[in-house]
Amino acid sequence: MAVSVSVRIDPTRCRGHAICALFFGDGVELDQWGFGRVTDGTADTDRLVRRARRAAAACPNGAFIVHDDGVTLAARSGA
Amino acid sequence: MTVLPDLDTRRDTTSAPPSPVTIGGLGEPGTLLLSGPSPEAGPEDLVGHASRWGPLPAADGAGVRALLRDSRLDGRGGGGFALARKVETARLAPGQPVLIVNASESETESRKDRSLCAHRPHLVLDGAALVARALGVDGFVVHVHRGDAPVGGALGAAVVQRTEAGLDDPAVRLSEGPDRYVAGESSAVAGFVHGGDARPMFTSSPLAVRGPSGRPTVVTNAETVAQLAVIARIGPVPWNGLGAPSSPGPRLVTVAGAVPRPGRVLEITGPATLGDVLSAEGVVAPPAAVLVGGFAGTWILGDEAWQTPFTRESLACVGAAPGCGLVAALPHDACPLTETARIVRYLAGESAGQCGTCVAGLPRLADSMDSLAGGSARRRDVRRMAGLADTVLGSGACGHPDGVVRLIQSTLDVFHDDVVRHLAGGPCRGSDHPPVLVVPDPRPRPTTDPGAWR
Repeated sequence: MAVSVSVRIDPTRCRGHAICALFFGDGVELDQWGFGRVTDGTADTDRLVRRARRAAAACPNGAFIVHDDGVTLAARSGA
Repeated sequence: MTVLPDLDTRRDTTSAPPSPVTIGGLGEPGTLLLSGPSPEAGPEDLVGHASRWGPLPAADGAGVRALLRDSRLDGRGGGGFALARKVETARLAPGQPVLIVNASESETESRKDRSLCAHRPHLVLDGAALVARALGVDGFVVHVHRGDAPVGGALGAAVVQRTEAGLDDPAVRLSEGPDRYVAGESSAVAGFVHGGDARPMFTSSPLAVRGPSGRPTVVTNAETVAQLAVIARIGPVPWNGLGAPSSPGPRLVTVAGAVPRPGRVLEITGPATLGDVLSAEGVVAPPAAVLVGGFAGTWILGDEAWQTPFTRESLACVGAAPGCGLVAALPHDACPLTETARIVRYLAGESAGQCGTCVAGLPRLADSMDSLAGGSARRRDVRRMAGLADTVLGSGACGHPDGVVRLIQSTLDVFHDDVVRHLAGGPCRGSDHPPVLVVPDPRPRPTTDPGAWR
């Protein structure tokens, strides 16, 4: 069962490769130098969680940080 | 004269009635924290301190926490966060807490913490000992800037005096870190104390929950703990009443800029207006503007500032905050845009060089301010600068870029007429005015050499 995750970009590690934006799409806002900021700090669907984890794995600087909230999506959605 | 309302719904009915306004420097009448010997007397020793204040009251941890709660003591380092909440947060978090008293005062025009430590070191150490009790820890660290001899010397000598007198004090460690603007930020201080660089950190939780050592870490300002030492002597409710409803207790400020004695530290009680503060220093009429809170602070036009009480609530009405307590007067013949441009250029070079948007964005903002002050900017350049400021806001691991943005936004807002004149007619006569605020020489770029941050 998937859990929702919190997503953050560590600005001290981000080097503006913008790879996270390829995976996390609209969830990342890039500034004019390519440095990213997450628009919503929570990924709460299976699809978003999967994308967030891919973005984290792809970031060459380990700046894209996914943190387990421990909230199961099934429980949150009441399914 | 209209006085801005100082409404505060949090005020409890048991508080003492509002205090009359008093303003004074070290050893002058009407002061509490700064009472005692004159500045020329140097650091007050333990005998002098104990004869004026008596021994440190024997309150236990719960007793000190009650003092923090009942006084509503707010942090005096800039953030204004209630110390009671920091302490409670740290106590609820797992692990033995760490206590760090931040006496590094990186705001270059501010002198209050340095002055307090250099002249009343025992008040600071008393207060830190009380916070240690509240946290249930048997030691604390006092962090100062390396090379700040009066501060380090006074604190070091005071610790020796207390040990020789056999005081039942927590163990004290003095920590000396690099003298840089952002090195005094609380996560930078905590990181440095735990063996890292004195650079702000990207933290996943507040320091009071989990610091760099993995333990809850309370970083609190030197004035804040000294205020607690006073609270323990005079009682939390009387102390609270010496402020204004939204701003409990007396406050220390540093006056700077166009004042007869820039760098003077004053203690204010009651709802003193900025006009009261400047009048007490011999300024007879409102200056053109007042910069409040520090370099990363807010400009207020002189006439408005003159009537604005230096309280959290009243300053908030004009978009300002007490910050580090800096009150800097801008004279009528100086150029506010030129002064701001110098500050922004300095702050750009003081980035820790860690976060990309700060490293790339602040020099661009400094360039824009320079061209605006120099009269070569056009209207669209100002729009671009405002847009860039929006991009930079909230981009960093610490509040440094945000502070620069707030200063610029305040400048564009408050000095709108000056901006329009500079766009239309080039530089103003005030551009040639000698610098009003003492701003250190800017570094050409942020220092990323790790050795510079140790």
